[in-house]
Amino acid sequence: MVCWLRVRELVRKEFIQLFRDKKNRPLLIIAPLVQLILFGYVVTTDVRDIRIGLCDQSRTPQSRSFIQAMAASPTFTVTHRVDHPVQIDDLMIRRKVDMAIQIPPDFAATVQKGHTAKVLILVDGSMSNMAAVRIAHTMTAIERFNVSLVRQRLAQHLQFAEIDARIRTWYNPNLDSSHFYVPAIVAFLIMLLSLLLTSMAIIREKEAGTMEQLIVTPLTPLELILGKTIPFILIVEAQIIVVSALAVAWFGIPFKGSVVLLFAASCLFLLSTLGIGLFISTVSSTQQQAMMTTFFFAMPFFMLSGFVFPIANMPVVVQWLTHLNPLSHFLIIIRGVFLKGTGIGVLWPQFAELLVLGMVVFAGAVRLFRKRMD
Amino acid sequence: MSIVKIKAVARKEFYHLIRDFRSLYLAFFIPLLLILLFGYALSLDVDNIPTVVVDHDRTAFSADFCRKLDASASFDLIGHLPDTAALDQALDANNAKLAIVIPPGWSAALKADRPSPLQVILDGSDPNFAGLARSYITSFVAAANRRLQIDYFNRQGREPINVPVDARIRVWFNEDLESRNFIVPGIIAIIIMIVGAMLTSLVIAREFENGTMETLRSLPLDAAELLAGKAIPYFFIGLIDVLVAVLMGQVLFGVVIKSSFALLVLACSIYLAVALSLGLLISTVTKSQLVANQAAILVTYLPSLLLSNFVFPIINMPTILQKITYLVPATYFIDILNGLYLRGLGFGGLWPSFAVLGAMALGLAAVNVIKLRGEGL
Repeated sequence: MVCWLRVRELVRKEFIQLFRDKKNRPLLIIAPLVQLILFGYVVTTDVRDIRIGLCDQSRTPQSRSFIQAMAASPTFTVTHRVDHPVQIDDLMIRRKVDMAIQIPPDFAATVQKGHTAKVLILVDGSMSNMAAVRIAHTMTAIERFNVSLVRQRLAQHLQFAEIDARIRTWYNPNLDSSHFYVPAIVAFLIMLLSLLLTSMAIIREKEAGTMEQLIVTPLTPLELILGKTIPFILIVEAQIIVVSALAVAWFGIPFKGSVVLLFAASCLFLLSTLGIGLFISTVSSTQQQAMMTTFFFAMPFFMLSGFVFPIANMPVVVQWLTHLNPLSHFLIIIRGVFLKGTGIGVLWPQFAELLVLGMVVFAGAVRLFRKRMD
Repeated sequence: MSIVKIKAVARKEFYHLIRDFRSLYLAFFIPLLLILLFGYALSLDVDNIPTVVVDHDRTAFSADFCRKLDASASFDLIGHLPDTAALDQALDANNAKLAIVIPPGWSAALKADRPSPLQVILDGSDPNFAGLARSYITSFVAAANRRLQIDYFNRQGREPINVPVDARIRVWFNEDLESRNFIVPGIIAIIIMIVGAMLTSLVIAREFENGTMETLRSLPLDAAELLAGKAIPYFFIGLIDVLVAVLMGQVLFGVVIKSSFALLVLACSIYLAVALSLGLLISTVTKSQLVANQAAILVTYLPSLLLSNFVFPIINMPTILQKITYLVPATYFIDILNGLYLRGLGFGGLWPSFAVLGAMALGLAAVNVIKLRGEGL
């Protein structure tokens, strides 16, 4: 049986304790907001401003028109012009450019004869995903140049078949990476906050020796757990509202779905994270241990959630493991709700998995906590 | 500075660590886990894009187009859908990332030498993915167009026109374009920050919280000796972690250092010194384990992950943040790692980053000594 009066008193004590400590205030209120703004700007994988080192050995109108065709795209900027190919190597090694183009001396002559001129393009591959996009942009620009040159050369009346690919991008038409990452950051911050708050709140009682006092009070273990977690549920739910509002207001992230759905999903998500926080505080006896263990959970959760690294790229066994990760389900929901406006009809598998996961984790943590208390 | 006293403090801190088995275990297990995860499971490279097709054309030509799409390494044709409503659902539910709609009469128009549209719908929510997928499908269609062109010229009995410019693309530093090759070295920077700064951020705060700072004050122990002694056990743990990470990267994942190994050890030692100084300074300033832990995550771990050119390019950030990255030690260390692992640079090319890291280590340690002396130590 749960006596709600006792739980209420414990919740009140917890709130007083949290806000009395001045050091906690920035942690609870300001930190998530600052983190969201900071991460929102930092976490991008857009490919913009490709720096090009150019070595034009041809120096002809033809080579210049080729360069112009490349530079017409706003992503390319020729930042360095050099006379000798050796200097290009130097620019690449010193990381001054992302790409280098070397136009051979016989470029104009070859093109005019109707042969194929070979242009050497060096790409810095050290960040492979960025490099692949840069290569793709380059190929597209060259393709465009080729097509326009061939059209010029052909007689006007020639008409041949051509597939005209009309590519439409849904959900995030400008491929703005903040749209993808900011909702995920909201989810991640919530996870971190709820894990840390719960685990630390109980450890603090243990370290200060006040746990003994709580045990000798008429509080049952379940009441103790409720009293310890309810304040964090309230705080974290308030954070979700504030942080999501900031994501929309500051970063202009579209919010297409339903607020109620997001709220419901976050409650299910909190069931898991609070359960894990409780588990951590049960098996740890010092704050250092609790912190390391929290980290131990949070890091793989982050890595194996599809936050940055797509789940589809993982080996099949690891893909199964991601089903045990509450963050991976919550990310699908929060991204779906923000960007796609998807409803429960599509998202119900994630809701179901979150619910099962949360109940198992929370029940397990409560059992363990009770056992330790007795 | 007395070696004997430093040794005594180091021994005490070492016992602390050994006794707290879990911290030690995690100090070794987290790095192992990170390396395994990044080596095996995490990749930013895009292939086998799950693709669905709505084929209103239903001819041998459109079927051949789909077969070629499936055969390419970039796309994985997971199904034919009856109509565009099913397509909406497939994209909404994340089953497919790319959808192609072939209009009725498509191949007839192409056979009659008329341009004919092809509708391509792309899930743009992950822009890293969508950017690559967009260019893969563009070049796939371009290749199909080239085939159509050659076919046309053959039928007309004309010489096909040569492509004016052919780009020979050569990738340097990471020839196979594998994200593993830059992520596995980058992990070393993260591991050092976790072990060096996050673990140590608690050790001085613990003395304050337990009241044992009083005992330390009464001892004939200088602040510098205390700090050196506290740092030594963590230094060795960090170094062991790094060696394990480097070895695993090399043996399991074939991520091989192109430059000298000695230089790598030197770089790691200096960076480890920065991390330790930073962690201990946080500990001295905050005096509380809870706050120190938060501060350590905020000041050490997150910047090394986010503001260091590790996965997220600095060049994309707003100018103010770009300036902040100059203050983040990991930026210099990632630069060194990139030079050593991918570019094969020697000390001659990397000394500025070495110098900055060295200065940071000394500066942070000095501030900490002054702070602790102010506390009466």
